[in-house]
Amino acid sequence: MDVTPNEAEEALAAIQTVMQKTRQSIASSGTYITLIVTGIVWLVGFVCTQFLPGEIVGYIWTGLSILGSILGTVWGFRIAKRVRSPATAATAKRVGLYWVFLVLFCIATIAVAWPLDGKQVTILIVLFAMIGHLAMGLLLSFAAVWWPLPITALVLMSYFLLPDLFYLWMGVLGGGGMIALGLYIRFRW
Amino acid sequence: MANLNETVHQPVRLRIMAALVALEAGNEVDFSYVRDLLEVTDGNLGAHLRKLEEAGYISINKVFVERKPRTFVAATAAGRKVFQEHVAALESILKRK
Repeated sequence: MDVTPNEAEEALAAIQTVMQKTRQSIASSGTYITLIVTGIVWLVGFVCTQFLPGEIVGYIWTGLSILGSILGTVWGFRIAKRVRSPATAATAKRVGLYWVFLVLFCIATIAVAWPLDGKQVTILIVLFAMIGHLAMGLLLSFAAVWWPLPITALVLMSYFLLPDLFYLWMGVLGGGGMIALGLYIRFRW
Repeated sequence: MANLNETVHQPVRLRIMAALVALEAGNEVDFSYVRDLLEVTDGNLGAHLRKLEEAGYISINKVFVERKPRTFVAATAAGRKVFQEHVAALESILKRK
């Protein structure tokens, strides 16, 4: 079989492109779903928190959290079905346990630091959530590591620099930023 | 020196093998995932998958998921070895350039 250097070069370039595309598409599939669903929850929840009375906001957050969890799980499972791995079940169990422990640690931290105001509770929850996503990125797909970092930076900026507009900033920039990032990863990455 | 493999070298089959080898060993992907990734038709992909399966380079696993038929494909150990040898052979051609 004769292959010229030019043909070899083209074949190697095609191989590299497909391998990179495959790895990116696998790595980004869960990431963009998480980003879009969480972003919508943040956008609606935090904007409502800024403008609506506390009692109504509590119900809105409860509804959004339940809806977000269901949407993220169903959507994630649909995408995950495209790739089957013998290690998936064991990994999913460990990931689930990790998030349970992280929630418990977050509750413990809030309890130790109590009394806190609404903004402090919010930022602690968000920081724990970002640590969780960062760990998931580091352990499961390195391509997904970077996004919690700019979101955390935005959240901290809003907490320290714009306390009066904290929730609005969280919703529009934090939530909107996540949606934009998710859409970018889905369509442009 | 590594050998070029005629079955693998065909452009669509080369891209199929590249996609499957990029997965972790043991992982398999849905037929529609490969079709969308490589932007080929169902018939074209099916024909090339059959060739690769006949050569023992990939495994095709037909299962029912929620009562719907699904086809999953994966690179076999032999397929991964042949593909790596093919890539090494291509690289050696470039080095001789």
